[in-house]
Amino acid sequence: MPGLHRVRFKVNGREYELEVPGHERLLDTLRYRLGFVGVKEGCGRGECGSCIVLVNGEPRNSCLTLTARLNNAEVTTIEGIAPPGKLHAIQVAFIETGGVQCGFCTPGFIMMAKALLDRNPDPSDEEIREWFTSNICRCGSYNHYVEAVKKAVEYLRKGIVFFDEREVREKLHLKPLG
Amino acid sequence: MNIVLGVLLIFELYIPNSLDDALEFLAKYYPDAMPIAGGTELLILIRDKKIRPKYLVDLSPLRRQFSYIKLENGLVKIGALTTLWELSNSFLHNDVRYAGFQDVWHKFGTMSLRFMATIGGNIATATDFSDYLVLLLAYDAKVKVSGVNGERVVPLGEFIVERRKPDLKPGEIITEVFFTEPPLNTSSAFEKFDRRSILIAGLANSAVYLHIDNGRISDAKISLDMIKEKRIPGRLRVLEESLKGREFSIEFIEKTIEETIPKHVEKYTDWWTTGDYRLEMTKTSIKKALLRAAKRIGVV
Repeated sequence: MPGLHRVRFKVNGREYELEVPGHERLLDTLRYRLGFVGVKEGCGRGECGSCIVLVNGEPRNSCLTLTARLNNAEVTTIEGIAPPGKLHAIQVAFIETGGVQCGFCTPGFIMMAKALLDRNPDPSDEEIREWFTSNICRCGSYNHYVEAVKKAVEYLRKGIVFFDEREVREKLHLKPLG
Repeated sequence: MNIVLGVLLIFELYIPNSLDDALEFLAKYYPDAMPIAGGTELLILIRDKKIRPKYLVDLSPLRRQFSYIKLENGLVKIGALTTLWELSNSFLHNDVRYAGFQDVWHKFGTMSLRFMATIGGNIATATDFSDYLVLLLAYDAKVKVSGVNGERVVPLGEFIVERRKPDLKPGEIITEVFFTEPPLNTSSAFEKFDRRSILIAGLANSAVYLHIDNGRISDAKISLDMIKEKRIPGRLRVLEESLKGREFSIEFIEKTIEETIPKHVEKYTDWWTTGDYRLEMTKTSIKKALLRAAKRIGVV
């Protein structure tokens, strides 16, 4: 019967068992219960894509996903796209092409890019743009994002999936790790 | 800990064990209980406080049972819980006879929503911007409905009673949509026109199913987002009849559309645009859809 739902699911490879009310959105569970703040809330109605995560490998707007429906699911957020101390090739490509401006929409774009490249390792510009219909970038970095995906394709084609985060920060003159 | 941000109203979620369990719950708590499939429309309606269900019945445990696309005994059958992504990976996207499915796919919501939204959900939404509804009308599809009193089949054209009101009785859900496998030399097309290309309701949406034999139109089915008065999709049978048996030519199509549409179609004016403009674009969208379908058959 209705009430709290016991949900057991994995987030970024780690298992969680939670009791959640039926109306709780995955977005709220991830941000406010589990602290995965890479998941952003923009519109809250499935239009902007800032909250996109992968559920069993499929892109989902977490603002339109109820946590109680996810028993036994595997969720991946931007925090889980690469192991600790590493950056995924898509992340590095986004930094290198200057795709990131204010950065609010970036996790959603990267998760969408991951979902695309998992299915199609060499997408055309048109396909990339079609997949990015899910995301809105207020800064207007769309062209940079398309370039970033193409750059990520090159890295992945060479078999480079992860980069050392410390080295990337040093090379690109980013703020060093804590 | 109970997290409520106030953007979603509070409702209870019921996770059923079986179809019967879901139907019994829906019947018992009608009209306070509603089924949730993809949730891409329902959760927004709740968020916007347009509907306030006390209970949502989660249909995802039934996905294994009602998620399929198959060709059986001359019928194309689509399980109601089939997502649009699954639809895009089926034979419907590889066969020219179903080409309209690809057109709808490219115009439907956004990519991530296509992983979540289901075909049954799109039909149950029952609005003038339910794109698959418009296309399936052009295929003369029928809907299979399951309820506590058993199954029934309803022609899609009769299933949508009013805007956002499908013909579902207490304790009933859509379980399948099906249509007859089209013969050779047929194809379909869907046109959606608005100021943007994506994430749009559409000022003028139309779908066309065409069968051309030896240059002559042997069958034509045309559906629009609305015909007159009610803002629900419907068939434009007058135009269909004027096309049947005639030779396919651009001049003939243009002339017939120009003569038929103003007499039989009425569009509304609102803050977005005028009825006259919608009507003009309806003519253009039908023409484009007919030409595209004919081109796919290899006629023009």
